[in-house]
Amino acid sequence: MRFMMIIKADRNTEAGVLPSKELVAATDKFNEEMVKAGVMLAGEGLHPSSKGARITFSGGGKRTVTDGPFTEAKELIAGFWLIQVKSKEEAIEWASRCPDPLGPGETAQIEIRQVFEMSDFPAELQEAAGNEPAMRAKLEQGWPKVPRA
Amino acid sequence: MRFMMLMIPSGYEKAEAGAMPSAEMVAEMTKYNEALTKAGVLLALDGLHPASNGARISFSGGKPTVTDGPFTEAKELIGGYWMIRVKSKAEAVAWASRCPAQDGDVIEVRQVQEMSDFPPEVQKAAGGTRLGPQ
Repeated sequence: MRFMMIIKADRNTEAGVLPSKELVAATDKFNEEMVKAGVMLAGEGLHPSSKGARITFSGGGKRTVTDGPFTEAKELIAGFWLIQVKSKEEAIEWASRCPDPLGPGETAQIEIRQVFEMSDFPAELQEAAGNEPAMRAKLEQGWPKVPRA
Repeated sequence: MRFMMLMIPSGYEKAEAGAMPSAEMVAEMTKYNEALTKAGVLLALDGLHPASNGARISFSGGKPTVTDGPFTEAKELIGGYWMIRVKSKAEAVAWASRCPAQDGDVIEVRQVQEMSDFPPEVQKAAGGTRLGPQ
């Protein structure tokens, strides 16, 4: 099963405050542990929402573009990992071992969400997705199971 | 530059386990995904199950507390993402605007951090482990 471990943003990540060297080193060690255990698929950090935008879709094909930052920081994300594990419980175990993502003095949150596999979909939806498995195989850079330097 | 396009479907916080899109929606989205692929910008993509079988872990004073989903009080839950490589934020926004999303959906476009975005001492501390699409 694949899970996304989503690191929620807070005012520090949104302000672009860099993580301390200690936290970076602890996170790197955590990443290595996940790689060694064969569960790590990918991990990325995101720049603050001030560098982003939101597109809202409304009636009649209308799209409204709004530039960041987005002040409702509770539901913004700062980064994520994709992992491959045997169960939700194992995903929770790994997320619980994450070095306190936002350092001492802050309350941090990681959200765990299961990733859809093609086999999760009933036959008629798999049919509608038609070329998707072939397309995924063709993706220039998929999610490698081993880290690149 | 790499960007994530985060799909925030309207009302996804209320979706039940096993909730599925319609075949028409899947077919339309597949066409969009193929366009991204043909243009050579698509790096990765995934859909996420509703939060009813997810969990949230809060860290307070370094101690983790686990809460199982659903999270019906949450205002915005991510339903999926694309990761793309494009020349500018404007190009990423243009792609996001082409998505066959539903009324009320929001796509958030966020720039992905590259190791080179960090000052040298942070890069050194990270030891150079780089994961995922480059």
